[in-house]
Amino acid sequence: MWFVRFLSSSIGKKLIMATTGLLLLLFLCTHVAGNATIYMSSEVFQGYADELHSHPLIVIVFSTIFLLIFLAHIGMGLFLFYQNWQVSKSRYSVTTRVVKNTFSSETMPYTGLIILTFLIVHIFSFTFSSSEVPISVTVKELLSGFFYGLFYIVSFIALAFHLNHGFWSMLQTFGLNHPRYNDAISKLTLILPLFFLILFAGIPLYFMTGLGASY
Amino acid sequence: MSSINLTLKIWRQHNSDALGNLETYDLDNVHTDMSFLEMLDILNEKLTKEGKEPVAFDHDCREGICGMCGAVIDGVAHGPEKEVTLCQLHMRNFSKGDTIVIEPFRSRAFPVKKDLLVDRSALDRIIQSGGYVSVNTGGTPDGNSLPIPSSNAELAMDAAACIGCGACVASCPNGAAMLFTSAKISQLALLPQGHAERQQRALSMVAQMDEEGFGNCTNAKECEAVCPKGISIRNIARLNKEYLFAALTEG
Repeated sequence: MWFVRFLSSSIGKKLIMATTGLLLLLFLCTHVAGNATIYMSSEVFQGYADELHSHPLIVIVFSTIFLLIFLAHIGMGLFLFYQNWQVSKSRYSVTTRVVKNTFSSETMPYTGLIILTFLIVHIFSFTFSSSEVPISVTVKELLSGFFYGLFYIVSFIALAFHLNHGFWSMLQTFGLNHPRYNDAISKLTLILPLFFLILFAGIPLYFMTGLGASY
Repeated sequence: MSSINLTLKIWRQHNSDALGNLETYDLDNVHTDMSFLEMLDILNEKLTKEGKEPVAFDHDCREGICGMCGAVIDGVAHGPEKEVTLCQLHMRNFSKGDTIVIEPFRSRAFPVKKDLLVDRSALDRIIQSGGYVSVNTGGTPDGNSLPIPSSNAELAMDAAACIGCGACVASCPNGAAMLFTSAKISQLALLPQGHAERQQRALSMVAQMDEEGFGNCTNAKECEAVCPKGISIRNIARLNKEYLFAALTEG
């Protein structure tokens, strides 16, 4: 079957990573837009959450799609990590990386696993939280905590590093590497992760520093 | 002309089945105008006179164009100088008293035959699987009857600069042969003569590349950084596109 052959080839696997990565990036955009309402007030945020959950079908269909995309991304990522580890273990007694700033690319599997851990904690804390307490209250309670907030900030830093390499790598896999666009792409590899870092990590900081006291 | 004293740690391995190890040799009075391979020649002369086995290494033209030579010098394929092969790396890049670690190009697809000599025929098999034009293109066409944009001709020529030395594979954290394969695919995909078999070529060459046991590309860019011919990873992006299009239409 051409489809199986394509997806099991080395480039096909990379294309799965890139495509699911792009879809997850789009998910981040919608998520961060909703989260941004926290900076307005608890009423605005609660209103957004109530509105969203007043259409349970949308939430269920969207969550299922997201879960499948995420499973494909992490499953294929771990498989590639395993394959690459098999090829690369104990090759040279001296290894020198010529390319500078390789931190993001070298740590992709690890930042990915931090994000996975975060996702599990996040879903159990918020998605499956008690329906008695309004979500706006849960958010403030949990994220005001020092260790919980710190865990969130560390996770978002990991996400920023993951996106820093991931965004460029995705475009390269799609075949988008052209002198006309490369300058813009290299700027976006910094702007995009910073955008998500500021908006996402700003929320625990907002509560931890007391700025969100009147939230 | 100045000369330097060096300590060399060289990978010695009797044959493909033997276990290898790094052996240390001291070499005095190495002229800084020597090439790296000439330095190894001097070492081999010394070893021969001492009744020891000389170090086996690949070499041919010694002017940086054939792609036969290559070793990993202190963790960098072809050594510290940019865009040169090992034979064009000169000892002036090293200082008195340096310890140089010399290892063969390593990859799952490159078995070590002896010392620094590796079998790179996996790359040849990738070419054999489709890196050529086999359709009948007729006699010599009239000049300008087949217009090719100058930029395309330049890009094809840049890709064709690949000498197939295998440094990209050796330096890739995953031992991927993507830079090599992408250069070989690009040089034909960019020119009209290569278009007839374009899709089939991408499919067969990638399939062969995977079969040989090369790793996956993780876009680490190391290949581009060590390539003696400065092949750009833009070719890898082109290969990704070529493969995607081919798989969707002819896979």
